[in-house]
Order: sequence, then C-alpha cells, then structure tokens
Amino acid sequence: MTSMESPLYYSRQEFIETDTGNKVSRRATIAGPQNIILGGKTIISSGAIIRGDLRRSGPGHAVVISLGRYCLIGEGCVLRPPYKTYRGAFNYYPMKIGDHVHVGAGSVIEAATIGNWVEIGKNCVIGKFTIIKDCARVADNTVVPPNTVIPAMSLFGGSPGKHLYSSSSSSCSFVSFSVGHFIEDLPETTQEVVEAETKQYYSRFQPLS
Amino acid sequence: MASVLYHCPCLSTSSTPPPPHLPSSKNSFHPLHRLFFCEECDAVRCNRCVSVEVSGYYCPNCLFEVPSASVRAEKNRWDSSEVGITFEKPTGLAAQLQKLEDSAPDALEFDRLKEHFEPILRASSLSPSSSSALPAAGHSRHHSNPITAAAAAALARDIPGVGKHTPHTRSGRPSGKDRSANKDEIPEYKSRVDISRASTYGSGGGDVDVDFMRRLESLSEVASLEQRWMYSWSTSLETRDLRPLRIPLHSKQSKRCPACTHILIKPEQKAQSVRYKIKLVAANYLPAITVALPHQVEMLGHISAEAAKRSAKAPQDDDRDRSGLQAGKTYPFHMALTNPLYDPIQVRLSVQRMHVAAASHGEGSAKEKTRRPPFAISIPTAPFSIAPFAEAWEYDDDEDMFGLDDEELEARLSGREKDTRAKSKTVGVLEKKANVTVVGGEVALGKEAHGEIKFNMLVAYTYRSDDPTPSDGHDVSPSKKAPETKTFAFYTVVNLGMIIPKNEPRLEVDEI
Ligand SMILES: [Zn+2]
Ligand SMILES: [Zn+2]
Ligand SMILES: [Zn+2]
Repeated sequence: MTSMESPLYYSRQEFIETDTGNKVSRRATIAGPQNIILGGKTIISSGAIIRGDLRRSGPGHAVVISLGRYCLIGEGCVLRPPYKTYRGAFNYYPMKIGDHVHVGAGSVIEAATIGNWVEIGKNCVIGKFTIIKDCARVADNTVVPPNTVIPAMSLFGGSPGKHLYSSSSSSCSFVSFSVGHFIEDLPETTQEVVEAETKQYYSRFQPLS
Repeated sequence: MASVLYHCPCLSTSSTPPPPHLPSSKNSFHPLHRLFFCEECDAVRCNRCVSVEVSGYYCPNCLFEVPSASVRAEKNRWDSSEVGITFEKPTGLAAQLQKLEDSAPDALEFDRLKEHFEPILRASSLSPSSSSALPAAGHSRHHSNPITAAAAAALARDIPGVGKHTPHTRSGRPSGKDRSANKDEIPEYKSRVDISRASTYGSGGGDVDVDFMRRLESLSEVASLEQRWMYSWSTSLETRDLRPLRIPLHSKQSKRCPACTHILIKPEQKAQSVRYKIKLVAANYLPAITVALPHQVEMLGHISAEAAKRSAKAPQDDDRDRSGLQAGKTYPFHMALTNPLYDPIQVRLSVQRMHVAAASHGEGSAKEKTRRPPFAISIPTAPFSIAPFAEAWEYDDDEDMFGLDDEELEARLSGREKDTRAKSKTVGVLEKKANVTVVGGEVALGKEAHGEIKFNMLVAYTYRSDDPTPSDGHDVSPSKKAPETKTFAFYTVVNLGMIIPKNEPRLEVDEI
C-alpha cells in the first residue's frame, strides 16, 4: 500500500537489474562474479563486498557464494567464504544463504550456511563456519564466534556488560560489540512475518524516475 | 513510530482493557503476530496466559535431538567442542567424561578424604558411647559430629586459610571446648597433594600463575572469570585447561489454551524444523491493522528521493521521527486493515472513551488531570467491508509491482484515484485493494498535548460462519437456513507517535 509505506528510492544509474529481478549496486564490489549465484529479487547495496574470487583451489567451476530470493545485503557488508587448513591444505569453503535473508549495513559474514527467513542486524560479525538455521535473528552489533550454531527460531544477541572491546592504537576510541548468545525463542509466526517484510522491502525498493 | 497492538484479556472477566496511559496497558497489549487464537473458546490468547509443555529437547550447540527418555534419565548432556577431548563413542558422553573427571587432583583428593574418614564414621556410628555421631534435631550440625570436626581439623591443618572460615563460632561455643577436638583416636590425614605445590594443579595463586602470566602472549589464553566461575573448585587460569560443562538443553514447546486445554501450538518433531502440526495464531483470524501518518510517509519518500538523486546513503526508517507531531495541530492518519479470511468481512471501529477522571484518581492530583494530553480522535464509525484473502493476491505480490508493465500502470492509476479521494475526505474509507481496506482518521492535538498519542480502539468484525451455532437447539434444514454470521470484537491500542517536545524553557519549568 503506497499510502502506508513510502518507496525506498534508488538512483536508476546506480543499480543494475538482472532478468530475475536482482538489483546490484554499481558501487558494490562483486569479485569473481562467475562463482556467485543470486536467486532473484535480491538486493546488493552500495559499498558491499562479495568475495566470489576466494574459491577452493583446483580446476573447474565452483559456486563460492550463493544467495536465495528476496535477500538484502546492506551497505558496506562483506561476504567472505570461510576457510581452514585441513590435512595441511589451506582451502576456502562455500557459503550458502537461503531465501528471505536480510543482512544489516556494515556486517561481516563468514558463515558456512544461513537458512531461510533469517535477519542479521547492523554491524555484526558472523564468524567462520557459523551455521544459522531457519527463522533465526541476530541483533545489531553482535559478534558471533566462529563455528557457532544458531538454532532455528532463536534470537541471538549480546547483553549489557558482555562486551568485547576493540580499540585502535592510534586513538582512544573504543567500539563495543556484544558477544552473541541465545536470548530467547522467536514467535511461531516468524516465518510469515519475515517473508512479508522481505517482500515488502523489495517492492518498496524502486528506481527514482 | 506509529503502531497498533492487540489486547489479550488473559481470562479476565472485565470486558474493557486498561486505558493506554496506565502502565498495565503494556502488559495486556501485544503485536498481532505474537498472539494465538482458540477456536473452541473463540478468544485471543497470549504467551502470558497459555500453558506451555515441552514437546522435545535438543542441544543448542550441536542441535542433537535428545530423546525425552534420556533427558529424564541423564538429566542433561555434555558438550565437548573445541577442547581436544576425544570420545570412544558418540553416546553416553557423560559416563566417558566421568573417567577424566575422576582422575582430576581435586577428585582424587576428595576420594582420599572419603577413604580416610568413612571407616571412622562407620565405627563411631556403631559405637554406643558416641551418640552424638548421629546428629539430633536442634543440634548444631557443625561440631556435634566428631567425624566432621576431625575432617575440619584435618582440612584446617593441611589447607591454609580453611581454619579461619570454619563456622565453629556460630553457636557461641568456644571451639577449644568442643569435645570432639580432643579425640586423638582419629588417625592423622595425609593429603595426597602437597599444598605448597597445589598451584601446579590450578588451585589459584602461586608461582605457577605468575609464571604463566609472564609468558602470556594473547589475552585469550586466560580463561575468563565467567568461564572459571562455573567450577566449584578453584581452577587453572589457563583457557586450555577448561573442561566441557553441562549446558542447558533447549526445548520445543507446545502451547495450550488455558481455558479449554485445546492445543494451540504443536511443533513438528524435528528440532530444527520451523513447521508446526498445529498453529492457531491470531494473525489467521483477526484483521491485521497497520497505522501510518501520511505527512510522515510523504516526508520519508521525499528524503529517500533526495538521497537517491545525490546517490547518498539510503534513508532509514528512523527518519520518520524527524517529522513528529506538534501540539496544537491536526493530522490525518491512515489505517490499513488486511483480511486473513477466505470470506469477506464487515468491520466497525470505535474509539474507547477515555476515563480521564478515573485515570487521574490514583494519583489524586488535579494537576495530573489538567496535564493529561488533550487530543481528539475521529475515525469512520460506519461499517465497511474488506474483500476476502485469496491465494491469487500472493501471486500478485510475487510479481514485479514496480516493473515496466501493465501492472505498474494499474497501480499508478489506482494511486492517483486514491489521492483525489483522499483530498475530498480525511475521515472514511480511502482505498480498497485486494484484501486490504485503508481508512482515514484524524487527530486534533490540544496546545497542552505532550508525550505519546495513544488511544484504545474497539474493532468488531462480522464474518460468515460455516458451523451452526451450538445454542440453536432446533434442527434446521440446510435449504431454509440463512447464511450464518458471527461477530468477533477485540481491543487494540493505536499509538500515533510522540509529540515533539517544545524547546521553550518556561514550559520545562511548568513540567516540574
Ligand atoms: Zn493472555
Ligand atoms: Zn551438543
Ligand atoms: Zn480455549
């Protein structure tokens, strides 16, 4: 309903729209596009970096990062496949993201799999090989340690007093993040709510004519 | 931001919800998607009033589904990720880990203490002369038992500092006169671990810890206090010495109506499935209502368009607050009602009268009464219809609504039509599209209005019912029967947002 929600305009020059309705900002860095799959109606915002170039060594074609339908990769997000050294060999491993997944601005994702209907807040760090199951949610500014499993229908986030401090040596400013842990179960209607929200976001996201 | 919350009476017999400005309002209103619906009782239910039962357990770390029988038997399970402990088999981890725990120095010490004192305990309980070995009611448990006293004495001797903390003085009897203290028939206990070297085993403090800290390269090598806190015994400072702990399992839950005990929520067995065998949620019965203020929607669209022109950062919805409400002004607002049913519904809205006097009674101040935000709400009072939900709308939704096709043209045409109608009247039905009807209302804010603008709104809707009314009694042949209609009414609280505080200092003084 246009009288209830305003459109979220974007500049027609900035975005490339694919046949399947994906909208990718020209200001995003899509490295190794041949190794990236976008499911359709997925938005890649300005300043996002998607590292499809970090592929498993060896010949041939490989899917490094796949995203489903109705996803949103927020401004300045980094999607980087997880890596590890296994039996002496360093390798990258693929990252799979389902449908209806929104990632807030400024988040860094190194997960192995993210299910469907998942919401990740702004400025999160999702550690290597993390598995996020369906209908889970990660609150803003949450650091999820590597290899974490986030169960379906659960809210992960920090709590006051549980903070990691990252300081830069050049200044005295401290940025605080909350270390992610289980907070609560999400409502039984999460799937429908997130699906409606992601669809609505896509329909509000339109070119300024 | 404007919002609409739904009332759950929680089995209360009172038909009206608390006024929106009372703190109790927060507890009885919820977002629609958090509510359940009992068909049997024809009533809304919420998480506060449903009864909950566990329908399955799983480990939150590895998602292992734990059979309920083994949860009851073992109470819990162990998790051993990242600690370099290998298990021989994937089940019965607790038993396997037990061996490891049994070989820990503190466990061995405890065994040795038991070994040392158990024969003495047995012997003294058999001896008729030492009736005090069996603590009688009312006796101080701490030193009536000679064995306990002996153990305490041994501990005090072997572990520095323990003597100071033995609660001997509680009964006021001087410990020197404790008759058990002189019982020298108890052999001296020799500790397994030399206390002077105890810090090697991580008993806290000592040269070992100092040495460890000196060689420290990364902060993560030190186990956090939180991690060490979990152990009953003082432990090593080092992260690598941490052991797996019992972690609480998560559960999947079924929910029942508190009045009739019918199941409202029943999840599928599989732990990570997000499907339900039974899911009776209010969103499938009650119309969904959203509220928006057109001047804010317009403003947000404008900000968004400006940003797109400059190719600047996309606007956030927080920008909406920049066009807040001002006291003394009148604003139109829109409410969109979405019908979840496969049949059309007739809706009638009414604003709950505010009992200003009653609300200010508790505080007992006339000042409170005058300070109440004065505002008047106008909403359409005549019933209006909302078209049924159809799967086809879902398909429409899937299409590119803003693509360069006929549909866009249609949308724009309907949009233009809506605009002209909106100008002619503020209060009334503004737009009907698919299973959504948009109605317009108006809020007139008094000069003294402040804070949040909230009001309770009763929503009554009439729908066609397939099942005959049970109170009917008579058997009516289907041909004669007129289409059955039922009415369901529920309360909502509509929040139109905050009034922008005035910056005049004189008003600030008046507030105090
Ligand atoms: Zn309730
Ligand atoms: Zn586990
Ligand atoms: Zn019931």
